Amino acid sequence: MSPKHLAWPAALLTVAAIGMLSLAVGTRAVPLSAVFDALLHGGGSPDALVVRSLRLPRTEVGLTAGAALGVAGAALQAVTRNPLADPGILGLSQGAAAGVVLAIGFGLANGFGGYVWYAFAGAVVAACLVYAVAARGRGGASPVKLALAGTALSAMTAGATTVVLTSSSATLDQFRFWQVGALSGRDADTVVRMLPFLVAGAVLVLACARGLDALALGDETARALGHRVRLVRGAAALGATLLTAAAVAAAGPIAFVGLAVPHLARRLVSGGHRAVLPLSALLGAALLVGADVAGRVVRAPAEVPAGVMTALVGVPVLVVLVRRKGAVA
Amino acid sequence: MKTGRRRAPGGAAGLEGGAAPAGRGSAVLRPHPRVSLLLHRRSAATAVTLLVLLATVMLASACLGQTYVSPTEVWHTLRTGSGPHDLVVGELRVPRIVLGALVGAALGVAGALVQTVTRNPLASPDVIGVGHGAAAATVLALATGAVSSPGAMPVVSVAGGLGAAALVYVLAWRRGMQPSRFVLTGVGIGVALSAVVQLYLTDSELEAAEQVKLWLTGSLNGRGWEQAGPLTAVLLLCLPALVWASRAVRPLGLDPDTAAALGVRVDRARLGLTVLGVVLAATATGAAGPIGFVALTAPQLARRITRTPQLPLLCSALTGAVVLVTADLAARTMVPPLEIPVGALTSLVGGPYLLWLLGRGAATFRRGAR
Repeated sequence: MSPKHLAWPAALLTVAAIGMLSLAVGTRAVPLSAVFDALLHGGGSPDALVVRSLRLPRTEVGLTAGAALGVAGAALQAVTRNPLADPGILGLSQGAAAGVVLAIGFGLANGFGGYVWYAFAGAVVAACLVYAVAARGRGGASPVKLALAGTALSAMTAGATTVVLTSSSATLDQFRFWQVGALSGRDADTVVRMLPFLVAGAVLVLACARGLDALALGDETARALGHRVRLVRGAAALGATLLTAAAVAAAGPIAFVGLAVPHLARRLVSGGHRAVLPLSALLGAALLVGADVAGRVVRAPAEVPAGVMTALVGVPVLVVLVRRKGAVA
Repeated sequence: MKTGRRRAPGGAAGLEGGAAPAGRGSAVLRPHPRVSLLLHRRSAATAVTLLVLLATVMLASACLGQTYVSPTEVWHTLRTGSGPHDLVVGELRVPRIVLGALVGAALGVAGALVQTVTRNPLASPDVIGVGHGAAAATVLALATGAVSSPGAMPVVSVAGGLGAAALVYVLAWRRGMQPSRFVLTGVGIGVALSAVVQLYLTDSELEAAEQVKLWLTGSLNGRGWEQAGPLTAVLLLCLPALVWASRAVRPLGLDPDTAAALGVRVDRARLGLTVLGVVLAATATGAAGPIGFVALTAPQLARRITRTPQLPLLCSALTGAVVLVTADLAARTMVPPLEIPVGALTSLVGGPYLLWLLGRGAATFRRGAR
């Protein structure tokens, strides 16, 4: 077997190992044997309670949100033909966050089931705005323009959320924990509620996989190969937005998972987006849960939110990508 | 960008021979045989107009608010330093107005300098991470209680801003400085630093979080002479450097090869201007919190009014002051009992402006801008 074939089992093993770690590591360390025991038989011991009621939902949310962000990043990078695209940098996450804040602030939504629709609306508006603005003018949607449009949008939404937050401190208290992108304190329902959005988004993106491969060759070539470029772009972007909105609603705006993961996935496998997208899902899940586990360890007994960890890990990746020749120009 | 189309007013020809016309729209003042001053008429007129406008806005801001104080009473209070309105005008409004004008001016100049160096209307101190750096350092100092005296705050924020800018500069350097790489790295570092700030926000108590959150949006509420003092000191210290800068920005607006051919040490001048801009922006941030988009918009507005080929420093400062004082007045009076942080207001107005600039293709980095 060539090294490229080893990527799949290796990625699966990593996800499984990090998932187990996430169940075992924390303020109360649970031995792995007890983790297995709790998963298989349940029971009423303190260890089993910790694992089943606290860590299992959190790990599930982390795995699904990470997978969603990984796939969304890979799709966005292909759609914008831009190695630096990421739901966070493009402002989609911030748009979704603004939707949630407005919903909390005006008392429209409480809990995940309410959040997700507003998050989705915010992300869609942000995606349309950023792309429309960046694609105008000479040179099309270049990395710098997309990043700046994302920054401008983030600043704007931050202004709007501040106006809401200064007028109501109850909202601030609820919001500040959600905003930082943490996985703690999620209940078991969250994943179930995320699922329809995730499935819809994933199906949309995966259906476009061949089209995304063709897009890499340029619009004209893709058209000549028989792909409907606008349809592929629109569908993939919509799918990525769905995935981002679900992940953000569940876990808060988590940046940089979608940036680093697709680059790694493209190195590990060949075979175009039909291979890159699923592998991005696996790696994204591993990265986010890994960041969450690391966040529990580095300042124990306090926790560093996973969103902070991914930002601190992701920025060096961004710098390396920016410094690479030809990434910007 | 019309830099290339028109020569910098008054080239070599304008400086020779006493009253020789220095090109359309400019005049040479010679108060003394060895002193000559190039005056761009429209810029001078604009500066005077802006000064009048600034005075008007400041006066209006002193009059308006929850209680109305008539202009004559304001004048009386200011002159005598006592009277029935001394609390409202003398202690609450005037200090924050003065601080607002100073912060706005510092941000306007900083924006003009950074935009000249990067030759990009979209680069501003907040985009390249200065605001985030200053904010992170200040929040850390507030949260850990390491620094408590208000006099030390500007030092902390300047250190944070300079540190962040230096980090961005070093990380973006690769066989020369390419503005687009600079901006992208700045965006990334900004995200990382705001993650750190968020971390401290969740760590602290709700009350402290609210205070930090308010500081983070930038507000002039409850700030005054305490913050204005250090800021004035820094501005005065920077004045000689600013005089140098007002000459140095002129050739740097041209493309680097031309500037080098004119005898400018491009890299050195760029570094000097950047450091100056970062110091000014970071000090302003330390005084009032990160107030977004003033540094971005003020120079652009000023240049559109003066119609000079390069970004005018003096007019940028005045425009920044007018913008910030006006925004503060609006933030105070828009929703009467409440007060919106002025930083939120400038972001709400400035964000669309940046998007509009982007849509017009202003972000296309010109060739040779390396």
